[in-house]
Amino acid sequence: MKKIILLLLICQLLVVPVFALDGNEMLRKVDRNLNPESFEMYRKLINIEPNGSKKEFVMYSVKKGRDKIASVFLSPASEKGRSTLRVGENMWLYIPNVGKPIRITSLQSVTGGVFNNSDIMRIDYSAEYNCDKVEDVEKEHILYLKAKTKSVAYDRVKMWVDGKSLLPLKIECFASSGMLIKTLYFKQVKDFGGGVVRPAVIETDSPLYKGYKSIIIFAKVKTKDLPDEVFTLNYMSKVENLR
Amino acid sequence: MFFTHLSQSCKCNLKKYTFFLLCFFLIFPAISMCGYAGAEDKPSDAIDLEFEIPEVEKKPYEFRAELKVLETVKGLDEDSLIFRQKYPDGLDDKTLYQTDLDLKVEGSYQAKIAKLYARLKENLSYNDEEAWENYLRTEEVYVSLQPSPSISLDAGKKVLKWGKGYAWNPAAFFSRPKDLDDPDATMEGYYVVSGDLIKSMDSPVKTIALTPVILPISKNINHEWATKKEIVWGGKIYFFTLDTDLDLMFLLGKEVNDCFGFSFSKNISVNFEIHGETAIVLDYVKHITDKQGNLTEKKYDAKDFLFGIRYLTARDTTYILEYYRNGQGYTEDEMKDYFSLIQAGYDDYISSQNMGDLIASRGYGSQSYNKQTVMRDYLYLKVSQKEPFEILYLTPALTCIYNINDKSASIAPQMTYTPITNLELDFKATFLFGKDYTEYGEKINDYKILASVKYYF
Repeated sequence: MKKIILLLLICQLLVVPVFALDGNEMLRKVDRNLNPESFEMYRKLINIEPNGSKKEFVMYSVKKGRDKIASVFLSPASEKGRSTLRVGENMWLYIPNVGKPIRITSLQSVTGGVFNNSDIMRIDYSAEYNCDKVEDVEKEHILYLKAKTKSVAYDRVKMWVDGKSLLPLKIECFASSGMLIKTLYFKQVKDFGGGVVRPAVIETDSPLYKGYKSIIIFAKVKTKDLPDEVFTLNYMSKVENLR
Repeated sequence: MFFTHLSQSCKCNLKKYTFFLLCFFLIFPAISMCGYAGAEDKPSDAIDLEFEIPEVEKKPYEFRAELKVLETVKGLDEDSLIFRQKYPDGLDDKTLYQTDLDLKVEGSYQAKIAKLYARLKENLSYNDEEAWENYLRTEEVYVSLQPSPSISLDAGKKVLKWGKGYAWNPAAFFSRPKDLDDPDATMEGYYVVSGDLIKSMDSPVKTIALTPVILPISKNINHEWATKKEIVWGGKIYFFTLDTDLDLMFLLGKEVNDCFGFSFSKNISVNFEIHGETAIVLDYVKHITDKQGNLTEKKYDAKDFLFGIRYLTARDTTYILEYYRNGQGYTEDEMKDYFSLIQAGYDDYISSQNMGDLIASRGYGSQSYNKQTVMRDYLYLKVSQKEPFEILYLTPALTCIYNINDKSASIAPQMTYTPITNLELDFKATFLFGKDYTEYGEKINDYKILASVKYYF
């Protein structure tokens, strides 16, 4: 009897790493399905207030590898020329008036609204999170993600992934206290050409911002070769030159 | 005394003052209502998620402008020494009004690897003392060549802002001093030739960037720097390693003092950043006056330090706190000697109409003593709260500058409101506190109120 219990325990211990491995592999595939290794894109960010009023921002972004992204605001006029850079968990903001990059933190928001800096400067989920557990529910997988370090904006993330396309459908973001911070909804899968097929819209709402909603619309997502030097402080004032 | 003076000033100018404040505060709700009226009041689900984004088409030229209307009210402190230095006969009206109209225009044109950029600022102002004034300033105009993302070369009038401090940048060797009242304001550059060489690596040091600078001095350009022709050399080396920004900078000249500096910044957590800066100015010459107005020179290596933090709370309150040690600054005794000189000059003028000492003190004041951050140790604290009490687009802030040496201070509550895209309303009141013979206690005004409307297009 003892041998059977021991055998069952060993089996249980073996099963957990297998799930973890599958979950992390699946997470990497989700990342690659969302965007190529090195690419450019345009995004329109819309903040919608409870009274229905809107604020819109258009930005051009380039991303390389798992953890480098640079963006520049193209409109409105009050924001034009502002650029942001993220390398891993390091983030900077360049304001033309100020004339030099300043460090910002992931919980701040350069645009206001529900999206914070870590949402707007999204790097690969697999660069920030480990998958603890995978649940299969009908035609979907639910990935339970845990932040690799304390410097990640959300301590835990619950990600619903379409079983066929391996694209995210919904993401819930939690603080270390277990409180739900926000929910992201991935909508309107679109073929951008060059093999890039991904949701063209991300919507978010938050119990912390009742009645508010923010939306990101993606356009012209395409592969682009980018040197590493683009993702440096000295280049922040010149990101728009890449367009 | 301050509040008594404030109430007296207000009584004297009650009509103008009330009218001014009424005008400004009426603008807030009026524009706010326009913003809501102009908003598309429909559920978010019905919003057209169009994918064609018109702004993405790139043009070789770009143009941007901002128009600002600024009203300033200054409550003068007729008992302060700087007031007596400037107005020994006093003034009838203890409140000064000034209206400014600022137009800032910037544009660029790109042709292949070359880009031409220019930013001009036009200011038209009207005040009680000098009536209409007008100036046009070229803040920046330069050509930039960028053959590849890792190499660039710029030539022309350009702002080079170095260092990591928010309120002060002692290691910004090629910049003009920041305006402490508005550290984020654009500045005027110097004529330089500078470049960037960037190398990214897959190693513990992830990035190295070299920024060499040449600044020529002649009677036509950069003449503020020295009296004789010379070439000033400088540079900055940036390292990004261990998730930390590190900068080493230097400046070498003949008549211009050699300077060496270092700065760093790092994110400690998702909401906490630290930064620091240090600089040494070799053989710095400080001009010091005694109580009689005799000027002496003191030569020494001036050492500056700055350490600061930026902290964001869960309630969206941002704290910026900085300590600054100004190695070029005056000690408390040196400042007291200067104030004693003004007092003696004023007494002399009142008793015998002799302006000698007052004129001498005015000269010393405009050269150094009356400038911002004139003493040695300061604290800067700015607390800002994003959209408190669910009031959209409103950011109140409180800024405090504390002179540690003489325990005088400036406290400035501020409200910034952006109800409509591209429109910004700003209201700021600055109150100065300090005893006699202290920096903020002897400033020309007791308080200053600024109200501005800025539009970007």
